[in-house]
Amino acid sequence: MVNDAGQLYTMEGIAAGLIMLLAAYIVVSTTSIYTTGDTHIPDMQLEQLGSDVLAMMDTPDSVDGESQLVKFIETGEGNDLREAFLANCTMRSGDPDNSLRAQVYLSYRRTGGNVNTTPISREDESYTGRENAVRVTRWVQLTGNPSLPPDMPDDMQRSDPQTVLVEVLLWRA
Amino acid sequence: MARLNEEGQWIVLMGLLVAVALFFLAVIVNQSALVGQTTAEGVLEFPKNDIRDLREAVFDYVDVYEMYGEPTRKQLRNDIIEISLERKNAVVSFSVDDPQDILGHEMRPVTIHYNNGVTVYDETTYH
Repeated sequence: MVNDAGQLYTMEGIAAGLIMLLAAYIVVSTTSIYTTGDTHIPDMQLEQLGSDVLAMMDTPDSVDGESQLVKFIETGEGNDLREAFLANCTMRSGDPDNSLRAQVYLSYRRTGGNVNTTPISREDESYTGRENAVRVTRWVQLTGNPSLPPDMPDDMQRSDPQTVLVEVLLWRA
Repeated sequence: MARLNEEGQWIVLMGLLVAVALFFLAVIVNQSALVGQTTAEGVLEFPKNDIRDLREAVFDYVDVYEMYGEPTRKQLRNDIIEISLERKNAVVSFSVDDPQDILGHEMRPVTIHYNNGVTVYDETTYH
């Protein structure tokens, strides 16, 4: 004798089970939503770090003094500029952050008037061109110095005061 | 129908309420993904550091304004304007006027205009 009087209860049980499973799934998935925006947070942090370091390096130690950044640019020491920049970036407690890499570019106006951008630090050996790099920039005022070292680009207006743009490409290897 | 027991109707009603509540939760979960995306895009697109940097460059220019004659000043101005256009895709213009007496300080009115196609920034200040 098969009695089918309880079929409604069976259906209700199945429906309740499904609802509970769905509720549990939704509750678990709300705790970790990985939005597309989250992927850019490390980039934003890296960009802010680089900007802050450049701003710090562009601040003179004394009134009417010359900032570290201007000194590096005027003497054409792009490699030293990179070393100092990276040293300042990694100057913090905990993780030494050895994977940080940088490449320094200088944008200036040629004597002819058009804009030229040139790398002034040695190219990084591990650079592949596929790095997820951020670019930070800083305007630098040069007071004009006829005796710029030969490392500087030839077509820079050496004797006149000018404004140049220091660009640093920053990434983690 | 005669054999059906109607005493459990409030259970059905609660079930309906739970379903509606779940629906609203699902809508909220959907929106949170969208909010994260637009916020991050807004933050990334806004050229905060560019504008700050430009302001300091202009103020540096104002600081040396009196040291140089008009040809040199024009060079410095064109440096900023043309490098901004070439390297930052930003249209920039700025002007400096004669000093005015502001609460006992001699300050120059400075107007700065910045437009990179997404963000437009205009400022009039005294430096």
